[in-house]
Amino acid sequence: MRSLFFVLLPALTAVVNPFLRRVDSRLVDVLSTVVLLAGLCAVLFFPLADGSDSLSVLMLLAVYLIAFLVSLFSVFFVQEERSRGTFFSLILVCAAGMAGVVTTRDFFTLYVFLEVVAVSSFAMIAFAGDPAGTEGALKYLFLSAVASALILLGVAGLLLATGGVSFPHLSGGIAKAGVLLAASLLACGFMIKAGLIPFHGWVPDAYESAPAPVSALLAGIVTKVAGVYALIRLGSLLGLSVPDGPYAAIGKALMFFGALSIVVGAVAAMTQHDFKRILAYSSISQVGYIVLAAGTGTPLALAGAVFHLFNHATFKVTLFLNGAAIEKATGTRDMTRLGGLGSRMPWTAGTSVVAFLSTAGIPPLSGFWSKLVIIVALWQAGSHGYAALAILSSVLTLAYFLILQRKVFFGDTVPLTRDAQEVCPGMLAPVVLAAALMILVGLYFPTVLEPFLGGDL
Amino acid sequence: MNQLILPILLPVLAGVLCLALGERAKGVKEALSAFVSLVCFAVGWGLLGGDTASFSAPWAGFGFEFALRATPMSAFILLAASGFALLVSVYSWAFMRDKTADLRLYYSYLLITLGFSCGAVLADNLVLLLFFWEGLLVTLYTFIILGGRQAQATALKAFLISGVADLCLLLGVAITGVLAKTMTMSAIRLPVEGLGGVAFVLMMIGATAKAGAMPFHTWIPDAAVDAPLPFMAYLPAAIEKLLGIYLLARISLDLFGLDGSMRVLLMALGAITIVLAVAMALVQTDYKRLLSYHAISQVGYMILGIGTGNPVGIAGGVFHMINHAMYKSCLFMTGGSVEHRAGTTDIAKLGGLFRNMPVTGVCFIVSAAAISGIPPFNGFFSKELVFQGCLDAGFPVFFWAAQLGAVLTLASFLKLGHAVYFGERPADKDGVRESEWPMLIPMIALAALCVLFGFGARLPLSLFIEPALAACQVFPEHALSGWHWGFAFAVSLCAIALAALNHLYGFWRTGRAKDAAEHIHHAPILHQTYELAARRVFDPYDQGLKLIRGTGLALFAADRALDFVTAVLPARAALAASGLLRKANNGLYPYYLAWALLGLVVFALFVGGNP
Repeated sequence: MRSLFFVLLPALTAVVNPFLRRVDSRLVDVLSTVVLLAGLCAVLFFPLADGSDSLSVLMLLAVYLIAFLVSLFSVFFVQEERSRGTFFSLILVCAAGMAGVVTTRDFFTLYVFLEVVAVSSFAMIAFAGDPAGTEGALKYLFLSAVASALILLGVAGLLLATGGVSFPHLSGGIAKAGVLLAASLLACGFMIKAGLIPFHGWVPDAYESAPAPVSALLAGIVTKVAGVYALIRLGSLLGLSVPDGPYAAIGKALMFFGALSIVVGAVAAMTQHDFKRILAYSSISQVGYIVLAAGTGTPLALAGAVFHLFNHATFKVTLFLNGAAIEKATGTRDMTRLGGLGSRMPWTAGTSVVAFLSTAGIPPLSGFWSKLVIIVALWQAGSHGYAALAILSSVLTLAYFLILQRKVFFGDTVPLTRDAQEVCPGMLAPVVLAAALMILVGLYFPTVLEPFLGGDL
Repeated sequence: MNQLILPILLPVLAGVLCLALGERAKGVKEALSAFVSLVCFAVGWGLLGGDTASFSAPWAGFGFEFALRATPMSAFILLAASGFALLVSVYSWAFMRDKTADLRLYYSYLLITLGFSCGAVLADNLVLLLFFWEGLLVTLYTFIILGGRQAQATALKAFLISGVADLCLLLGVAITGVLAKTMTMSAIRLPVEGLGGVAFVLMMIGATAKAGAMPFHTWIPDAAVDAPLPFMAYLPAAIEKLLGIYLLARISLDLFGLDGSMRVLLMALGAITIVLAVAMALVQTDYKRLLSYHAISQVGYMILGIGTGNPVGIAGGVFHMINHAMYKSCLFMTGGSVEHRAGTTDIAKLGGLFRNMPVTGVCFIVSAAAISGIPPFNGFFSKELVFQGCLDAGFPVFFWAAQLGAVLTLASFLKLGHAVYFGERPADKDGVRESEWPMLIPMIALAALCVLFGFGARLPLSLFIEPALAACQVFPEHALSGWHWGFAFAVSLCAIALAALNHLYGFWRTGRAKDAAEHIHHAPILHQTYELAARRVFDPYDQGLKLIRGTGLALFAADRALDFVTAVLPARAALAASGLLRKANNGLYPYYLAWALLGLVVFALFVGGNP
């Protein structure tokens, strides 16, 4: 019952919003943000006791955290007056959908909520009404349609093969004919939603053309929830780590695509000019890490995957929101025209540095620990090659981020950036909070990891 | 305190004390230096007559003991070394007085060198010997540096050349120690074969390089010009010869039992050094450089003598060592005297100085006669013993080479003496006066000793040489001193006559004394050889430097290549790949769909391929 609360709360607020806007447009902002904050606190302090496991709780935490941060940022970023209410409503609906995805206990309901998330995402991407946004939304839509079709087919297949689609029904690794096909369809659909190579076509375009807070939301949590969480759930149910088990092939395929995403995403990021596109490819690369671990399937690997998922949400939301701040301050996202912003926008630069160091896996930030767990899990599972690849890819990660940092933040100011001002504290608060979280999680890693490991995944 | 420690510790402490003295303490450094040398001299004298004193103390484990032992030879060399230190101290008092070098450092180095030399000759443990030996490298470098900025390159050259030779010595010592299973010198007796031969050759390199034989000699002529002159009179002339030949004698007679092939090697080395160095000396135009080449040449006689392997030759080699130290030191001092008063050592600018500086001139004449082997000065006697030793050993070729060297030696000294002290005096040198008495006294003393050791050759031979050799089990069959009318004597006299004739011919031909050797300089093949030598083509150090430059460039290129492969190439490859990927993501939805379908196919292969 409590899980339903988390779904309904944002949904109801979303309904109320348009009416509130007639009263006072600022009221909408406040209400949305407060509601999301309330949900966050509720997750932290009131444990769910109705059969939800710790994975769901953690994901719910991540969903509300990112949604809250984005909402807070949007309060100060979005200038739009007329459809302000709609915007925040969309965020809330998306959050509600995501909460539904992570707390549901069967695949069909998961599919339904996945569609909710997708539709609200399309609307949000095209929100600004410009051709680029519409185009990005359409590309997402078309590929998402393929994914949805595959997922629906997979769900149907599961139903036909096993007679039920709920998690308890499927847990324990059922070995029946036809389940492999159904699971494969599901996996493919989720991979498209997650944005793995080579299903990633929509990711750079959608992230780039969406309004900045929307990109943050998308990269931060939507793809994670829609694609990666579902993959993790599928993987844990099927028992991918059982060697020579019926579903080991799916695990191997996931690992392959994950590793491919890591490398290709990182390499492609190196020569991008647009700030957001680099971050988009970086997302693809990091999701690769998560899926690589998820495909391995051992408890430690799954714990690492979930941990990295959570961490990555914080990294990406920080980076995208900072990108938005830079765009607002200088008017451009083209890195070749930027430079020397570190002296002009110290908070933005500082939090960016923390985020990118954490993504690259530099101790003692949180990203280091999650990557370490993934690498150790890979090694212990016998995938020495993939473990070595994961380690070496840290170099690639550092490479593109250093390029980004150097071009945007370091060096001398150029005419465009000479007059740039630091953004207002309201816009800085979310990123500072996220950066603080990265540092704290990194420092207090042992206490943090326990719930991940202890969860009955 | 044991009397053996005194000659080592006292000079070193005094040297350190000199560093602490203030500038106002005038004369203290010089007095201290002279006094300490006198004390060591006294200790040496005391050690001569007595039995073999020894001292031993544990030092560093592994057989590295602080073991000292005074054999008659080491006592004799101790005596000589401290004697030279005394004379050079007195000489320096006047010579260095108005020089810009820091005199505290100068006297400090002088004393420390004395202390370490005494340590080296008294050491009975190979490692201890090595310790003192290598310590002398440091004072060598610092001494030359005192000559000023232009001396820095020469100091480095001297250090590196001596360092390489000392490295060979170190290897030799290591191998010897391993072979003999002990480091105590008096207990080692190894045959020269196989690894023992290698050890012998390595130690021989160390010893002869110290003495200044070829090919480790190239720093000495440079140092003659760059370093302060008393340094030349002290180290290359005296101390280094004493130490080098001491070690050579010890390893040839004591530590190893030489056989035929090693003897030939030593004799060849000696003969080559004699001839080549004196050929170079003949054409020099600088007083000090000429003398330094002679210093190198004379070492050849000593090595030749020890290499003969028979008692006469060995006695000759050792006797020549002490004789040479005396007259070479005296010659350098006369050079310093001329430099001090006339301001230059370029022969072309000097002339007719005998009337102005009679004492210097007489000392020069005596020493030059001694070095040229004119009877009855000391050089003649020691050379004669070496000649006889060559003949007795059955190698006439070396005898003739040594005689050729004697001819050229006398020729070059006739040229030098004639050009500097006799003949026309340049107008600006009219006012040159004799040097002060602190400079004259050591010269006179050394010249007197040359005369004494010549006329009374019996004295040093019986007092020093024979007991020293007896301790090494070498006993000459017949008396060494006295006149030996024989083939060697006759040839020597002919050599003297030949040299005189050559000089007269050269003088008659060109009319100037300084060009008296030019007919040899410009002889057909010799001309080209001299040209090459002047361009330092035969200098291993300079050639080695060129090689190092080339090697350095090659290594740099290799490093750049490695850097390219590991850093530049991957970066470029990654950026190229990235560029391709960037262009591939062209924004067209059909492409995205195609990729997705491709991915589905791959997935199907993964899943379908595994049953």
